[in-house]
Formats: sequence, structure tokens, C-alpha cells
Amino acid sequence: MFNRRQQRLIGLVAVVALGMAACESGDDDSDEASDSGSASAPAEGGGSVEEGETIKIAFSAPGADHGWLAAITENAEEEAAQHDDVEFVLLEGTNDSAAQVSQVEQLMAEDPDALIILPHEGDPLTPVALEAMEQGIPVINVDREFSSEGAYRTWIGGDNYGIGVSAANYLAEQLDCQGNVVEIQGLAGISVTEQRTAGFADTIEQLCGDGITIVAQQPADFLPDVGLEVMETILQAQPQIDAVYTHDDDMAMGVVSAIENAGREDEMILTGAGGSRDAMERIQEGGLYAATFLYNPSMSASAVRVARLIALGEGFEELAEPEVPSRIELPASTVTQENVDDFIDLGF
Amino acid sequence: MSTDVSPPADLAAETAATAPEARARRRIQMQEAALPVVVVLLLVAGTIADREQFLTSDNMLTVLTQASVTGVVAMGMTFVIATGGIDLSVGSVLAAAAIAGGLVGEQQSLPFILGAIGFGVLLGLINGVAIAYGRIVPFIATLAMFAGARGLALWMSDKTPISLLDLDVVRDLGRGKVAGIPNAAIVFVLVTTGAWVLLNRTRYGRHVIAVGGNREAARMAGIRLRPIITSVYALSGLCVGIAAVLLSGRLGSASPVAGNLLELDAIAAVVIGGTSLAGGRATIVGTFLGVITFGLLFNLLNLLDMPTELQQLSKGVIILAAAALQRRDG
Repeated sequence: MFNRRQQRLIGLVAVVALGMAACESGDDDSDEASDSGSASAPAEGGGSVEEGETIKIAFSAPGADHGWLAAITENAEEEAAQHDDVEFVLLEGTNDSAAQVSQVEQLMAEDPDALIILPHEGDPLTPVALEAMEQGIPVINVDREFSSEGAYRTWIGGDNYGIGVSAANYLAEQLDCQGNVVEIQGLAGISVTEQRTAGFADTIEQLCGDGITIVAQQPADFLPDVGLEVMETILQAQPQIDAVYTHDDDMAMGVVSAIENAGREDEMILTGAGGSRDAMERIQEGGLYAATFLYNPSMSASAVRVARLIALGEGFEELAEPEVPSRIELPASTVTQENVDDFIDLGF
Repeated sequence: MSTDVSPPADLAAETAATAPEARARRRIQMQEAALPVVVVLLLVAGTIADREQFLTSDNMLTVLTQASVTGVVAMGMTFVIATGGIDLSVGSVLAAAAIAGGLVGEQQSLPFILGAIGFGVLLGLINGVAIAYGRIVPFIATLAMFAGARGLALWMSDKTPISLLDLDVVRDLGRGKVAGIPNAAIVFVLVTTGAWVLLNRTRYGRHVIAVGGNREAARMAGIRLRPIITSVYALSGLCVGIAAVLLSGRLGSASPVAGNLLELDAIAAVVIGGTSLAGGRATIVGTFLGVITFGLLFNLLNLLDMPTELQQLSKGVIILAAAALQRRDG
């Protein structure tokens, strides 16, 4: 009668209640922190190195504390589980570049056949990736790029600038190059945000000149509650908004709430980015949430496949070349009500 | 206090004011006089900068609504800081409370509200017990909860938000209005009033201040320290639970990543309001004005479409200025 998430809550409350009743010493707190830590830690790879056909793929990514990053880790695990010949080694992610460097070093010590890294930040992880390459471990760089091309065998990622371009193309067409646009950005000061902003600004200007004005531009840190607050104020300031370009589907949900709370959902359309399932469901319904642009976490599943092929020394069957390409850029496909059914299974 | 002549409001709580207490109270009065000036300055600056939108009742109500989540949390934080403690866990606990509420009440409002508030109080109690009975310093105990509760929120929710679109009462609390006044703003004002009464007009409030002022003296006076200390963290958890309901109602969902950096905003509001981080003096009116100051600042710079770095910079300047003011008065 209870679903899995509810069972966790019930179990937890029971444990805490018992703990508090049993001891007044009050170190329940630290107990609990370690409880949740160990429970959420994924099962680690066996550790015993088998000889023969098994391909050992190691994986390192930032902490899975956001819908998109959670999906990245999950997709990689699921993909690896589907290959009988793959042994997958994963360490719990961290949002600290220095910690991720030591993590990668630890993974290298296990002598994997391929190493997949989604760096928290590209620059600080580049030296350790170079080292791995020098040791003969092929590195597959996912999403955020290393600062040296020698640091990876293959890079696979989405197109942040392309998200801006796709959004600009879509909105220019929807608005006939006329109107006021609000841009809700991601986290200020990182390349993802800058590229999504630049792609949009460049393309809008090229297509529409002065026809479309970006009347407000504020970061909301990829967080729904920040998106809500920022948008509430912008709604006060702007009497006429024709479209809202947001950098992220999760964050966009807060922006959508603000617009609906103000009763102005018929005045404008909104676009997201990423390709979450919630966003695609809203797009299916039609109305305010008009489109999203893919930056799909399925890229980590692709990375596992690529890593396997590289370890086997094979290439893609569909390509004439016997080797995996060194760069794979996934398109920022535009998902609208018309084609959402083709993409919704990719939603995270 | 057996006379029926009503004393001046600011003297009412002074049944047996000793000299240092009176001095502390005067200091708070200076602080309370300084902060309204800051608020008025912000209002004037805002009106000059943006004549059309800033000083409208609509926008002022938006400020109050936006400040409601931080504001309610800051009220609980005032009691914690009054005892010389600190609660770093409020942002994480807010997310965990919202998720817990969503799990027990995905379909109905009342279970959601009780679940969120109950879980907030539970985590607050854990903080309180760890600090009062486990003798762990508040900074560390609540730092552990800061990490632990965020982990809980993510784990319990499977890292995905829980949609609450069907919860009419919760949605209404977050975004509905009564006679043109947003419900969230009303809740904020009610919680503020309740906190003021509790701090200034009850024995409990005096005990909280006494524990923060001089722990040894409070013990001599027969105040039981541990229950008082435990209770302020539970009170903080209660406020966080209420804030979780407000935020979830406004968002239409319970998000495991909500409340990021909320602790800093709440602590900053309490401190610029004039409550001493060392404990022993506290002001609810000051906290209210502190929350409003940051609310106005955020609103104004956002209306003018200023870059966020400027918002953060101004916030820093205001905190520093308020702290400097506190020193000069003391």
C-alpha cells in the first residue's frame, strides 16, 4: 500500500524515534547523516579483477544532486548493466574539483580499460586526465570539456551554444520577430550559462535585429525556487512579455509557477532546456510551456557504449572508419507539441 | 506589574530590569531606529529609480510574499540566536520537510501540511537534543543536519520533485489572496506577531533571553537550560516546516533542491535586525525589518534588471554596515 519513497520515510521516522527514545546522548544526528549516506551510495563494482573478456569501465561525475546529473549517473549505470562483458566501477559523485581529482586517481589505480569523466569543472580535471591518457587508459570526456584535446580519446556532449541558437530560431518564428523576451539564465559565471546566453543573443540579433528586445535577463542558478522569485519580480516590472527563454527545465518549473500565479499564462510562451519528463509532459498538454531543447543525459549511456568500443578497438558499424570519432556533438533538437511523442521516452 | 495602569509598550517586559539589561535594550532601540531609516532610504531610492512600478501596493505585496519564506524561517532563527546558538540546517530541513509532506500527502492538503511541519519539528528536535543533551556545539550539530537533511531530501524523493498541483489548500496558501492580500504575506505577518508575543510577553521568551545572556545566572535563577535550548531548535524546525508549506504552495511542487543558501539569508536578516550573535538580546521587529530590507533590495535591483553580482555586492555592504552600526552603539 505504500510506494518505495513512502516506505523510506516511514522507516526513517521509526529509526529516528527509536534512536531518540533509546539515548538522550544526542548523537542521533551524526548517525542519521551516515545512515542516509550509506543507504544512497550505489553498490560498488566487485573489486576482483577478472581476466579474460571483461571490460572494466570506470566512471566519475559530479554529485547527482540535480535532475540532470542524477540522470547522467543513472543512465550510465543502466547502460553498463545491459552489457554482459562490462564491469562498471563508479564512485559517488562530488561537487569539489579537488575531490574529484583524487577520485579519478583512485579509479586509475584500479587499472580500468576505459575511464569516463564528466568533470565538475573542465580545467582542474585536465591534468589528471592527461596523466590517465599517458598511462594508456583511454579517457571519454562527457559534457564539460577539458582544456586540452590531448586529455581525452573522445569527447561527447551536448551543444550549449546550440541550445541558444535553437531557442532563438524557435522564438523568432513564433513571435514573427516582434516582441519582448525575458531570459532566465542558469548559474552565473559558468561556461554552460554563458554559451546558452551567447547563442541566443547572437542568433536573435542576426534573425530579427531590433524586432525582439530582451527586456530582462537574470540568473536563477538552475533552481526552481530561485526561478520563482526572480520571475515574480520580473512580472511586476514588465507589463508585456511575449516569451520567456529559460536555461533549464527543472528551473523553468518555478518560472511557470510564477507566471501561472500571476494569471498571465495566456500572454506569453516559455521554452526550457535539457529535456526532462515533466517538461515534455507540459509540452504535450500545450499552452504556456511551448518547447524545450535537448541536452540529453542519455549522453552518458552513449559514453559507456563508446568506452566499450574503444576498449575493444572497434568503431561504429555505420561508419566506414574502423575507429570511434574523437568528438561527438549531440544536436540541441527542438521538442515541441508536434514531435514530443518521439522524444518523451528520452525524458529524465 | 500588579497595577492596572498600562505601561509604555517598550517597558512592559521590564519587570526587574538590571542595569546591563536596560543598556542592552537601549542598544536594540538604537538599532531599531537605524534599520527603518535604511528601509525608507531603499523605498525612496526605489521610487526615484522606477517611478512607475516600485512603490505600488501590488509590488509591495509581492515583496512581502517573496520575503515570507525567508521571513518565517528568520523568526525561528531569532530564538535560536537569542540563546547564543545558530541553525545552519534550515535550508536543507526545508527541502526535507517539503518532501516528507509530499510523501504523506501527495493527494490531500492536510496530511501534507501536518507531514511537512511535523518533519520540520522532528529534525529541529534532533538538532536540539544533540546540542542540549549531547553537548555538541550548535555550529557542528546543525552543520551535520545541513548535510544530512539535504541527503535525506534527495534520497526520499529519488532526486525528483513531487508535484502538488492537486493540493488546493496548499496551493491556495502559497498563491491565493484574501481581500487582495496574498495569503503567504498574511501567514508571514501572523508568524511575526506570534513570535513577538512569545519573545516579549511570555515567561518562555524571558527565559530564552536569559539563557543566551548569562547561562550560569539563568541556572541559578532556576531556569532549566536543556529544555529551553532544545525547544528553540524545535521552534526553528516548526518555522521551517511552515515555510516549506508556503514555498511548496507557491511552487506547486516539493523540490529536494529548494532552500539552497536559505540559512545565510535568514541569519543575515536576524543579525542586521540587531539580534546579537552572542545571544542575550533579540528583537523580532528588527528581524522583520531585516527581512524586508533584503526583500526590497532584491526586488528593486531585479526590477531595474541589474546584474546579480551587484545584488550580492549590495547585500554584503548592508550586512557590514549594520554590523558596524551595532558596534558603535555598543
